[in-house]
Parts: sequence; structure tokens; C-alpha cells
Amino acid sequence: MSFTFSTFVQQIINGLSLGSVYALIAVGYSLVYSILLFSNFAHGGFLVVGGYACYYLLTQWGYSVPFSMLGALLASGLTAVVTERLAYKPIRERTPITLYLLIASMGVNIIIENLFVVTVGGRIRALPRSTFPTGVFNLWEGITISSSDVLSLVTAVIFLSLLQLFLSRTRWGLAIRAAACDIKTAGLMGVNVTFLISLVFFVAGVLAAVGGVFLSVRYSLYPQLGNITTKAFVAAVIGGLGSLPGAVAGSLILGLAEMLTAGFISSQMRDLVVYSLLVIMLLISPAGFFGKKISEKI
Amino acid sequence: MKRNIFLIIIGIALAFWPLGGYQEGIIILTCINCIAAMGVSILTGFTGIFTLGHAAYMALGAYTTAILTVRYGVHYIPAIIAGGFMAVLIAWLIGIPTLKLTGDYYAIASIGLGEAIRLIIENWQSLTRGSRGFPGIDPYTTRFTAVIIFIMLAIFTFNMLESNIGRELKASRDDIIAASLLGFNTPRTRMKALLISAFYCGISGALLGGYMSFIQPSMFDMMKSTELTAIVVFGGLGSMSGTILGSAAITLIMEYFRDISQYRMLIYGVLLVVIMVFRPEGLMGSRELWDFLKFGGKKNNA
Repeated sequence: MSFTFSTFVQQIINGLSLGSVYALIAVGYSLVYSILLFSNFAHGGFLVVGGYACYYLLTQWGYSVPFSMLGALLASGLTAVVTERLAYKPIRERTPITLYLLIASMGVNIIIENLFVVTVGGRIRALPRSTFPTGVFNLWEGITISSSDVLSLVTAVIFLSLLQLFLSRTRWGLAIRAAACDIKTAGLMGVNVTFLISLVFFVAGVLAAVGGVFLSVRYSLYPQLGNITTKAFVAAVIGGLGSLPGAVAGSLILGLAEMLTAGFISSQMRDLVVYSLLVIMLLISPAGFFGKKISEKI
Repeated sequence: MKRNIFLIIIGIALAFWPLGGYQEGIIILTCINCIAAMGVSILTGFTGIFTLGHAAYMALGAYTTAILTVRYGVHYIPAIIAGGFMAVLIAWLIGIPTLKLTGDYYAIASIGLGEAIRLIIENWQSLTRGSRGFPGIDPYTTRFTAVIIFIMLAIFTFNMLESNIGRELKASRDDIIAASLLGFNTPRTRMKALLISAFYCGISGALLGGYMSFIQPSMFDMMKSTELTAIVVFGGLGSMSGTILGSAAITLIMEYFRDISQYRMLIYGVLLVVIMVFRPEGLMGSRELWDFLKFGGKKNNA
């Protein structure tokens, strides 16, 4: 494919749109990592719960789009909280080894994915087209932007700003930032750590649901949709695990890299580029762009 | 010595006990899974390096052996060994830069590397036929081959773990700083563990290709890698007999639930979570099978 300016701009737009969806998901990974120091691979499961909740609220029960979105956010948030209480809490109370949490989270991901396979079947579904705006705008010669791209960009910005406001302006936001620094001391200072962790999981679940709804609009809805979060996880690592600005920056970089590769090299190389970026980043600086530098204590 | 004889007897039983075709298949599959699990156990259970990408080494072994036997007509025994060494070669190239990473970061890097290797295999159409898969591999993995290779590797593993290398691995797992102060060359130790484990996984992949007669990059995805590490944790970190028992148990459970295949993965997921919640030390903890048999005997020497 020859290098043309319009393809370049077009792929930048596509990359930003994809990156914004990654950002919503990656922030959830980073939030949980900043508090509990483990990579919650069940995040993809939360996203699928959000997608299916939205689908059923829209098609089976005929609720309006905003209400269905709200239902999806709640369903996913609650799933995250229940997961934390049932699976992670007993483990983290017993042992400080985060590997057990990691494996349990993979188990939860498999459970959620296959619960949907067993109950509603592995069939690929599409959210009804009419419910989301579908128009395509021509910006100039050959460069288009679809309204779902605009919508996902705008929604991502809104939700990430809300998160930023929540973390920087509220008491519980302050508590979360304190816990990210040192969760034990935060507990000693009177923060209800159990509730705080539930809150963090709820917020992460809500953000995953937003990502899930947009992914199911952009692609389609199926139980394995959660696997796409592996890439958001890569984005979180590239930005620096535990850092929210890092997660956003990493997501945009990844979205752009993926789309530019698809546009100028080959779309089969997309995933390879993603994982190569991950490995290169880890070799240069394991803590990513913004992560805390961890050095071994002797 | 008693243990080696015990293993050989088990091997003879596995190889010659008269069974139907279906049960034979399960024995082959169990041996294949046990070999890969032993490899991951050496790295994860005995050296403390967590990996989530070892299915890639299985893929390397499987494809090397398949290409050598099908395209170049090589006999299957040298081809299987070549498969193992291919995995070792790539592991060595990968290990030089990445083994410096510690803790979670090696695990994350191994996800990336594992997926990258799988994607390269998938995109190298001219050599591997890509995602359509590689058909027509001779079914060279008979019950006899699989059992013999498994028992040979098992005997080697148990003896290695009690030799100097085994002590080196355990020392660098328990406290890497103390181990290096005691004069162990810990980076070399970690590399040894990675190379040995890659060899096992390569052999296991080569046997899998010969058993299925067909391989496909998606057989060696992140899911498979996770399964390998999960099995090792299930069996007990630091227990080789636990790893073998755990691997056999998981293989049998998954095979006998094939009738309700829809629920298979669900059961697997529930199993993972339940084990992590109720018995995170796994089936055997860090003890070996025979530690239970000695009455009031000495504690394990790990």
C-alpha cells in the first residue's frame, strides 16, 4: 500500500477512536493494579457482562438507550464487586502472593465467558443498529469519521474526566490515591479498606462496561469479546501499570500503532506489533512511561 | 533408586496394560501434558520464575518436528529431539534479555513473547501454512513412544532435582540474593531452568503434533500457557510428583467431561478459582509423594 496523506490521517482518526476504547479498559486494569498490585484478568469478563446486559435490556426488555447503558454499567460494576468479595478477598487475606490472585482472576474470566456460552450460546450478536447513531461524516477528500467513532471518543473523554474528578476532588478519591501509595497505612489512618477495594472494583467494572458496549457496537457481541482486553492490558503495561495517565497514553499509542500498521503494512501484523511493543517496553523500562520505579530492597 | 524402579514399573504398566483405543488416547494425552507440565514446574515451581507463555515452546517443537518429518522426510525420533532443541534455541535467545526481569514483569513479558511467537508462526504462511494449520503429520506418537519418553524425562527430572542443579534452582527460588552471595551464578541458574523447561515443552509439542496429526497455531495460545502454569500451581509449587498428579488429574477430568463439552471450560474455571481460594498451596504443597510415606521422617529438603 502506498503512502498517502489521506490514508495517514484516516488511520490516525481510527487509531484515536480505538485507543479511546482501550483507554477505558486499560484504566480499569491500572486502578486495580495500583491498589492490589495484581493484573486482574477477569476484567475482560466484566466487559462481556456489560455488553450482554446492554444487549438484553435493549432488545428483550425494550428499554431506551441511556437506561440500558446505565443498566450495563451497574451490572458490570456489581459483577466486579461480587467477584472481588467471593474470589479475591479470601485469597488476599490469606497470602500476600499476588500470583494466586492472578490465576484466580483468569479462572473468573473463564467462568464468566463460559457462563455466557452455556446460557445464551456462543452465537455472535449485534446491538440493534438503530439505537446508536450510524452516520458517516466526510471531513475532506476521502477522510471519513463515523458517528460511532465520535461517540466513543466523546464518551471516553467524559468518563475519564469524571474518573479524574472523582479521584482528585472527593474524599473517597483521596482515600483511593492514599491506598495506591500504601494501603496498610491508609487502613491505619481510618480508611475502610474493604469498602475501598469494593469501590475500586465497582469503578473498574463500570469503565469496563462502557468499553464493552462500544466494542460490541464497533464489532459485535460474543462471549469471547473479553479477550480483546489483553490488548488494553498491554496498553496499561506500556503506560506503566498502576498509573492512570500512563494507561491513557499507552492506549492511544497502542491504538495508533495498531491502525497505522494496518494501514501501511498489513492488518495481519497488527497483533504482532502490539506484542513486540510490549516486550520492547518491558526490556527498556519495565515500569512503563509513568509507572512507579520499583527497585529490589536488599 | 527405589523411586526409579517405581517409575519404570509405572511406565511398563502404562505401556503394556491392555486397554481400548480411547483409553490409549487418554494415556498418550496425559503423558504429553505431563511432560509440558514438568517443564513448567522446573521453571515455575522450582526456580520461582512465573511464565504465561510456555505454549509457544510447544508450538516451536510441534512445528519443527512436523516440518522436518513431512517436508524433509526425517525419521521421527531425531525430529522430536530437533523440536526440543529448537525450543531451547529460541528460549536462549529470548532468555538473554528477558530473564533480567523479575516478579510479575517476567510473566507479562512471557505473555507478549508467547503471543508474538504464535503470531509469527501464524503469519509465516510459506513455512507453516498459517492459521489453516499443518495437516498430514505421521501419527508417530504411539502409546509406547509417549510413555517411554515421559518416563525417561520423569526419571531424569527427579534425579536432577536432587542433584547440584536442583539445589541451585531451589536456592535461587527461595532467596536469589542469598543464593548469589553463596556463590551461585544466579543468572546462569535461571537460564538453565528456562532452557530445560523449554526443551520439555518442545518435546511435548512435538509429541502432540504426532498424536493429533494436525497442528494449528491456535492450539498454542495464551489459554494453553495459562493452563500449564495453572496445572503446576494446582499440583503444588515445588512438588514434581504433585505436578504430575495434578496434570494427570486435570487431563482425565477434562477428557471424561467431554460428553458435556459445553460445561467443560466452566468446570475448569470453577476449579481454578476454588483451588486458589481454598487450597492455594495445591494438591501436595511443596512435598513429594514419598514424603507422605515416611513416618515421622525428615522434612523435605527443598
